Amino acid sequence: MTGQSMGAAISQPNKNNTLLTFANAHRQRIVVVLCQIVLLIVLISAWEWATGNQALNAFLFGSPSAIWGHLVKMWNDGSLLRDSWVTGSETLLGFLLGNVIGTVLGLALWCSRFVSRVVQPFVVAIGSIPIVALAPIMIIWFGTGLASKVAMSTLSVVVVALVIAYKGALSVDDDQINLMRTLGANKWQIFRKLVVPASLGDIFAGLKLTTGFALIGAIVGEFMSSSEGLGHAIFKAGSLYIISKVFAALVATIALALLLSFIVGKVERWLMPWRKLD
Amino acid sequence: MTRAIEHSGANAAAANSSPLLVATHLGKTYAEPGERLTAVIGDISFSMAPGEIVSIVGPSGCGKTTLLNLLCGLIPLSRGTVSWRGHPLHGMPERVGYMLQKDLLLPWRTALRNVTLGLELKPGAELERNERAHSILDKVGLASFHDYYPSGLSGGMRQRVALARTLATDPEVLLLDEPFAALDFQTKLVLESDMAQLVCGEGRSLLMITHDVEEAVSLSDRVVVLSHRPSRVKAMHRIELGTERTDMIAARESSVFMDYVRTIWSELEVRAGDP
Repeated sequence: MTGQSMGAAISQPNKNNTLLTFANAHRQRIVVVLCQIVLLIVLISAWEWATGNQALNAFLFGSPSAIWGHLVKMWNDGSLLRDSWVTGSETLLGFLLGNVIGTVLGLALWCSRFVSRVVQPFVVAIGSIPIVALAPIMIIWFGTGLASKVAMSTLSVVVVALVIAYKGALSVDDDQINLMRTLGANKWQIFRKLVVPASLGDIFAGLKLTTGFALIGAIVGEFMSSSEGLGHAIFKAGSLYIISKVFAALVATIALALLLSFIVGKVERWLMPWRKLD
Repeated sequence: MTRAIEHSGANAAAANSSPLLVATHLGKTYAEPGERLTAVIGDISFSMAPGEIVSIVGPSGCGKTTLLNLLCGLIPLSRGTVSWRGHPLHGMPERVGYMLQKDLLLPWRTALRNVTLGLELKPGAELERNERAHSILDKVGLASFHDYYPSGLSGGMRQRVALARTLATDPEVLLLDEPFAALDFQTKLVLESDMAQLVCGEGRSLLMITHDVEEAVSLSDRVVVLSHRPSRVKAMHRIELGTERTDMIAARESSVFMDYVRTIWSELEVRAGDP
């Protein structure tokens, strides 16, 4: 009797249902992407049409065709790739440095309620500083080269990463911690086997958020003082009133941001395979 | 039939050997914000013999979960003493498994790796751990689900994995806090039977907290009834149904089953308006 009812209770998860919802979700995603493409084409056409018709001043607003022309020119003379490479490496270094430092500190704060209470007002204070205001100091400290931009980028990321990692670590279920204790885990084992993996979801949410912050930090650093990079190109074209070139460099910047968050998404899926089922 | 004989044998042995758990005059008082003191547990004393299945029932909010946490050293006592196998409680007791209504499986680990969790905390070879986890998952009826993540399992299956995780560390006694409360009735009966089989068959003891009087009567050797908070032991019943311990249906069909249930119900004094 027990054997029979045991079999009945352990039924397979309903595969049909899962497949059906999967197909639905897939169809919905295609529709969303199609709508996005249509919207983009409409916006660009309207822009091109308006500047071609003198409804908008092409000198002040640029035009999609001129932007495309600048992109082609920048590609041909190699500046597009070079500037993107420079800004990209500044952003990536700042992103990695800021997130590693911030996440490690944020998770470490979980270990001591006392220390976290002591440092809390300092974290809030540092977090409220507009990073732009620190650019002159960074240039004085680290020079006008790569290091000052990496520093700016790191600063834009580190406090956000710290707060998010700490919040993630704090949100671990107390019952889960108690369970680990009854299994005989010490504090380090609880940290390693429970707190760190449980915080991964929040940490990745932070990583996605801070890709943009890292890029802003690098670009702001380039605005202040630089001889290369997309920020430099934007600043130079802007001061020469070549609006379409500003937009061309912006397109490259956006592409960089998308690339970075794409990579983060890939790493997330690779590191958290159990999330595939959601 | 054989199992019934084995079981009564275990009972006789239990009566002769020294107690597994002795709790004397336990009390727990919480300081709430505003410096008000709330006594959750007034004065509780009871003991448990090796191999025994004991259920603790009580009205809502009588501090059943607090009691369990006190017994396994998760929170400090305000008054009284707890001793396991004659040794006063110090830190976490050895070989005591703990399982809650929530399965508390780690979503990033497969069923198998959830079961090995407790074993990983102590020195030992990975191969041995995996072998042990495999055999225990098979025993709880999840032979083909070793590589599933918890999100791919049903509620009953997840609770089976939690049971396997608890059994993996080879505890002498299992402390369960309403382990089946979140399951539907059918799944619950099956899991109760399997649990009884796994516990009795391997000479383990079981201390279970529940608000389900029928569950307590059908599964236990003894039922401890607690009063409203600050809680005391109100009554203690030795349950003798004359059926196989692992057959939950037969237990419910036994002639005295409803007598026990009715008596305990009346002792619980469920008041209208209780949460």
